[in-house]
Amino acid sequence: MFFLHNLERRVTLHPSYFGRNMHELVTTKLVKDVEGTCVGDYYIIAIMDTFDVSEGRILPGSGLAEFTVGYRAVVWRPFKGEVVDGITYSVNQHGFFAQVGPLRLFVSAHLMPDEMQWDANATPPQFTNNADMVIEPGTHIRAKVIGLRTEVGQMWAIGSINGDFLGCLQA
Amino acid sequence: MSKTIGLGNRLRYPITIVELLKGPGETIKKQEVLMRYSFKWMKEVGDTIRGNTWQEEQTTIADWASPTDGELRKWHIKNGELIMKDGPCFVVKEACSHEIQFQGLCAMCGKDMTEVNWAAEARDTDRAPISMVHDQTNLTVSQFQATRAENDLQRRLLQQRKLSLVVDLDQTIIHACIDPTVAEWQRDPSNPNHGSVKAVQRFQLDDGPRGVTQGCWYFIKMRPGLEQFLAHVSELFELHVYTMGTRAYAQAVARIVDPEQKLFGNRVISRDENGNMYAKSLQRLFPVSTNMVLIIDDRADVWPRNKPNLIKVSPYDFFRGIGDINSSFLPKRQDALAPDAAAVTNGDSNPRPRAGRTVEASKASAAETLASAGDEADPELTQRQLEEQERTLEKQIKDRPLQLLQEKLDKEDEEAERASTQSEDNQEAPRSSPPLVRHQVLVDDDRELEFLEQHLTLLHKTYYEEYDRQRASERGNGDVELVTPDVGQLLDSLKSRALRGLRILLTGLVPTNVDIFQSEIGQRVLAFGADLRTDVSRDLTHVVVNSQRPWTKKLKRAARYPNIKIVNQGWLAACFSQWDVVDETPYLFHVHPDIPAAERLLASGGGADTETDASEADDTDGNAEVRPRGRILRLKRPKLKLVSASGETRTLDDGEESDDEDEAEAADADDLLPDEFEDGQLSPIDTLKTFNWGSADEELDEFLAGASDDDDDDDGDEQDEDDANETRKDEDFKDEDASETTDSEENRRAKRRTTPTRKRKRKLDESGASGKLRRAKSARGTSSLRNQYDISDSSLPTPADEDDASSQPKLPASRAQGAAEDGGDDGLYYIDEAELEADFMAEFEADGSVPQGEGLGVGKAADGGDTDKG
Repeated sequence: MFFLHNLERRVTLHPSYFGRNMHELVTTKLVKDVEGTCVGDYYIIAIMDTFDVSEGRILPGSGLAEFTVGYRAVVWRPFKGEVVDGITYSVNQHGFFAQVGPLRLFVSAHLMPDEMQWDANATPPQFTNNADMVIEPGTHIRAKVIGLRTEVGQMWAIGSINGDFLGCLQA
Repeated sequence: MSKTIGLGNRLRYPITIVELLKGPGETIKKQEVLMRYSFKWMKEVGDTIRGNTWQEEQTTIADWASPTDGELRKWHIKNGELIMKDGPCFVVKEACSHEIQFQGLCAMCGKDMTEVNWAAEARDTDRAPISMVHDQTNLTVSQFQATRAENDLQRRLLQQRKLSLVVDLDQTIIHACIDPTVAEWQRDPSNPNHGSVKAVQRFQLDDGPRGVTQGCWYFIKMRPGLEQFLAHVSELFELHVYTMGTRAYAQAVARIVDPEQKLFGNRVISRDENGNMYAKSLQRLFPVSTNMVLIIDDRADVWPRNKPNLIKVSPYDFFRGIGDINSSFLPKRQDALAPDAAAVTNGDSNPRPRAGRTVEASKASAAETLASAGDEADPELTQRQLEEQERTLEKQIKDRPLQLLQEKLDKEDEEAERASTQSEDNQEAPRSSPPLVRHQVLVDDDRELEFLEQHLTLLHKTYYEEYDRQRASERGNGDVELVTPDVGQLLDSLKSRALRGLRILLTGLVPTNVDIFQSEIGQRVLAFGADLRTDVSRDLTHVVVNSQRPWTKKLKRAARYPNIKIVNQGWLAACFSQWDVVDETPYLFHVHPDIPAAERLLASGGGADTETDASEADDTDGNAEVRPRGRILRLKRPKLKLVSASGETRTLDDGEESDDEDEAEAADADDLLPDEFEDGQLSPIDTLKTFNWGSADEELDEFLAGASDDDDDDDGDEQDEDDANETRKDEDFKDEDASETTDSEENRRAKRRTTPTRKRKRKLDESGASGKLRRAKSARGTSSLRNQYDISDSSLPTPADEDDASSQPKLPASRAQGAAEDGGDDGLYYIDEAELEADFMAEFEADGSVPQGEGLGVGKAADGGDTDKG
């Protein structure tokens, strides 16, 4: 689920950047540092704006200036039970992997409808129900997240396409 | 699926069950208390400060929590039961068996498997330990799932009457390099290599190495006939790619080899997913059964666990000298039949810039040793090796080895042409334009895939014949279980027919310190059904020699039997590749048992003076024998003879030989050959190949001038170089005296007696005596020799001598009996001197006008002969 989230971060600036447009530089650096990262259990998708850029404080010993910046960002936190869209990137007999934005999701063969069968002879190998559903690398899918795990800077999810309106997306 | 849960061994047995809290049929959760039990233990009570304590028995009631979720089916224990040790507790139908896990998540229920709690003894992540998917390492499955997946695979393959074939990329089906020269040649139609490199394809990698090599082009040459080979083979086999390159590299190559992804599909595994930088393993892809899997690879050593399934192909070496660009992580290739060796055999004189690669390889192997000591996944080491590989690649881009090779070849061509024009017509042939036909470095003449296809087809046929036979016999039993023949066994039996009946002796191909039956080449000979012999006998069929180091004792002895075919290692490589006894003719190693000894010596790398070799070859023999172990005893041996009885026998032998020198018979000539060098050791003359004879000559001239000046007062003018030489020898004698205090007196006497000989010798003409001195000098000229000489000074009775007892029985014997026989020795030295003098005089008279340079060749091999007496 997407949220608008107010966050705060300390940004340091090298003395060579000290000047009139320091605050712009701080914002640029913040965007560069933060956008697209995974923080805890959510991803920072985009920074909307910054506010409340504090006065710079020189860090003793290094000469870097430290600013405390408040900013508003669009964050995405996947939840268990959330339905997400993704693109398949790898298929094997145990299931398939899909990329849901920055999140990697695995859908096991156990969590597919019964009629979905593994077909190793096809090129490329695929899951298919011999009707409208074919899952091979590049297929757009819709899955329900049933498990999530985070490590520093990374998240993984387990998905299921066993349910109504889940599975292949018709283009 | 129900599962029996044990009590666990963490409880304080014996325990008594107090109460069961859940009944069969009830749903249980992890960490939920299922029953209570009591146990007894001793507690220390009393006043611990005064030491007034005693043990008292306590009874404690504890909870027992469920280690798993599910539905309780049945208790194995009942109220009030006394349990002495760990055993089954209850049966549960688990909610999820967590058999497929993705990055610490159960792929079936979505639970986090990395959570650890007190209720369960084993971690949940251990339930799915097997990684068997080609392109992912973070997806793991349980043994049960792996077996099921593999049975599915086998059923499908059997249905299609296919087998699995794991294909290596580098140097097996393609050859890759990043030398930019290739691109230049591709653009230049006038280049002699243009035809060869036309078909070379190329790609760039985004995630390739950084630095100079970033964004470099990879040039991929497919092995000749690859398309056809893969097309045919893919009808019989399901193909997998298994490479030590990176994932991106593997996929890029797969796209070139198989643009439509029909052959390999997504069955590509690379070093990134392998989980091991140093070895490949079939178990990574086929964890349960490798019965239906074959491998083709150019390296056997990277498949330590799967040798039976491996068909080793000869490495494809199109871009000469480049090797395998992805081999930085692998141990150094140890292949006696490597193509460069074979190419040299075929008279290919292209020098290859091996140095860089050797360095790389040796570093890699060093790194490997490190790795084997520590953890395989040591990130620091991996980092180092990555850097190593980057450096190697950079070197390739900067140094452009191919261009160097071609330039060298062009130069050779030019020289050859110049030589030919000059020799053909001494008339003023117009200085020809650059050679019309430039030779090319890159020659595409590989036929390996043809044979490989034949072998694979044969194997496939045999396998399914065997399978049908098994099926037919099983049908009666109604046995539905999946039983498949083992293709590895079939491969073995097919291979073992290839060379059956041959009795092969290998010589010069395996280092001495390696057991030939354990060496790779030896094992392959055995695997192909030939009888591997370690000694020469009449019933041998083939002797395989190393064409770079052919003159071994075994070869010499084998040459006596005309029925034994003597071939170079190229023949063996061809047999291995064709699985048949190939025609020996192109590989025959020509040896005539009755060529003059001098020629033999020449052939073995040194020049020989026909006049002297009869008397000196014996010493050559001895040196050749001793050198490999003792490093060098050339200068030391003569001293030994001086103080021992050995000189006697030796001299007598020499005399005899020079007597019937004219009738140099075959057997006799055989004896003149250098004895076998221990396999893998350097030939004693190897170091002399690099020796600068020109400078030796100069030195000699200088010396001769000095010697003739000094001739009058040779009683010890220390400034003369020759005298210095002698002084050094005198010192040697003193050393020896020190080491053999018992007979030091005798030694001195012997020395005194020999001194006149030395003087006389020096008065002789250059052709004989000084020729020998020259040799002594030249021997000292090489630094390595000098070092060894120094070493031998201090350690005269080396064990190497004892070892050599068989070939040089005189030495140790005389050592042992030294003191006893010394008197006799003294007498014999006079004989010795007389003989020597006669020798010298004869030489002088017969050969007075021999140019000075001629004796040099023998020098290094035979200088023992003169110092011996001098």
